[in-house]
Amino acid sequence: MTFVSPAFVLFVAITWLVHGVLPSRFRWAGLLGASLIFYATAAEPQLLVVLAWVTTVTYLGGLRISACDPRVRGRIYVASLVGVFFALGLKYLPLVHDAVALLARALGRSVSIPIPQLASTIGISYFTLQAIAYLTDVYLDMLPPERHFGRLALSLAFFPKILQGPIERGGDLLPQLETTYHFDYEKTRSGLVLFTWGLFKKTVAADQLGVTVDVVYGNVHAYSGATLLIATYAYAFQIYLDFAAYTDMARGIARLFGIELTRNFDRPYAATSVAEFWRRWHLSFSRWLLDYLFRPLQIRWRGWRQHGTAAAILATFLLSGLWHGATWGFLVWGALHGCYQVSALYTRGYFNRLQRRIGLAGTQGLAVLQVLVTFHLVAFAWIFFRAANLRDALHVVGNLPTGPVELVHRMLTANAHSSLGLVPGLNRQDAVIGSVAVVLALWERHLRRWWASTHSLPLRWMGYGALFLSIFVLGRFGGRKFIYFDF
Amino acid sequence: MNIAQRLTETFREVFNDPTLVVTPETTAKDVDGWDSFSHVNLIVAVELSFGIKFSQRELLTFRKVGDLLRSIQRNLDQA
Repeated sequence: MTFVSPAFVLFVAITWLVHGVLPSRFRWAGLLGASLIFYATAAEPQLLVVLAWVTTVTYLGGLRISACDPRVRGRIYVASLVGVFFALGLKYLPLVHDAVALLARALGRSVSIPIPQLASTIGISYFTLQAIAYLTDVYLDMLPPERHFGRLALSLAFFPKILQGPIERGGDLLPQLETTYHFDYEKTRSGLVLFTWGLFKKTVAADQLGVTVDVVYGNVHAYSGATLLIATYAYAFQIYLDFAAYTDMARGIARLFGIELTRNFDRPYAATSVAEFWRRWHLSFSRWLLDYLFRPLQIRWRGWRQHGTAAAILATFLLSGLWHGATWGFLVWGALHGCYQVSALYTRGYFNRLQRRIGLAGTQGLAVLQVLVTFHLVAFAWIFFRAANLRDALHVVGNLPTGPVELVHRMLTANAHSSLGLVPGLNRQDAVIGSVAVVLALWERHLRRWWASTHSLPLRWMGYGALFLSIFVLGRFGGRKFIYFDF
Repeated sequence: MNIAQRLTETFREVFNDPTLVVTPETTAKDVDGWDSFSHVNLIVAVELSFGIKFSQRELLTFRKVGDLLRSIQRNLDQA
């Protein structure tokens, strides 16, 4: 059962009705039961054992950390973390399997060590990070331990966010699970609109781009620089719209139950620096990295001053890459983001002085230039994130420089129809529909502002109708899964 | 010069702003240039200025200048 399926809509409707008639004190039980059913059907049922393990370790760890002698609480904190990391480690079993096989081959042995493999580890990356954040906050006395096992379990397993986040903080989510639910028409309406808007972004915009990206990145050696360039731009927008669509849908569903989840995106491609991009992209994850990885490392290495900060940035982004999966592509992607920010750290004083000297500081022109440069740096890194392997990624990078010239040449020498021929599997109608949908999805801030100022009821219902109609007529329901499910 | 005045002087040096005024309620959002990169420069400067060494745990719980002031006081008392 995925978000883009009739079964899911039915599941949410039943859960909402049951939740509505349950007495407040059993609210957590209704939502937890639904979350476990959802997780068991969306992933492998045996992953429930992993979830139960992480929940138990987190619950007992939190209670013990807060109750024990200050001299031993550090040890209990570390022991609890080890328990959670054990679950996170399941994601890397294929890597362990390959490493063992490689070692055996190097030693000239044909020993086969059976290492169990899970067909899917969906969700583990998200609820383990949330568990680590909870244990750390309790350890630092920034959060009291949750004494109600059911509510702690629900905070980790809440079905709108278990598969793909947002990675919620205990301090934000747990208090909301204690409140009494009252039906609120405005919240319910806005939750449904947010869910539907996410569905539009996914099925009409992101998946349309996905068609082109999958064809080109599925066989990069068959295409020239111009096509690779178009597919690379398309992927930059696809991954954003796909992930933002999921977050909108998750937040919309949660709102139906009176729960507000974290906003994960804030127009990331409007960032004027890579550091700012990370303050706008996958916010719940980047805040997690900042608070639980970067800052502790930076503090530990503060004696090295700026070099310590640089080392903390590199370590954070390399681990961020590995969190997505143990492949060279993710590692290079993380390393690129780390290098971008380390370069900025060492050169920002020089660039600030230069901008002031030539009178560019604070100008609109500089901001536009910075947005363009940042977008291209991020899009370049996405190549390593998307390509099937490092060889494919390097082929794309090697052929990109010829792309712009080829594109301009084709546009000058051919008519509009043949220039579309650069993109395989894309006809003119799909290209127009996809482009309009992408522009609408990227301009959602302006749309929202206009929508909020519109009080005409007929116009509003016409808007809802158009949104529904466009999803059912133009949407792609081919089962293309959300990109971040894999992580 | 009391702790708050000395801390204000340190802030002014680190953020290169002789007019900067910090209060116990001041947070990183209120000071131009106080981001996650410059935070460590501030901490090192405060440690040098007061001749103290914060613990890792203390540094992770700072949310506003008031937390920093309390930690400085505690470290000076223990010295």
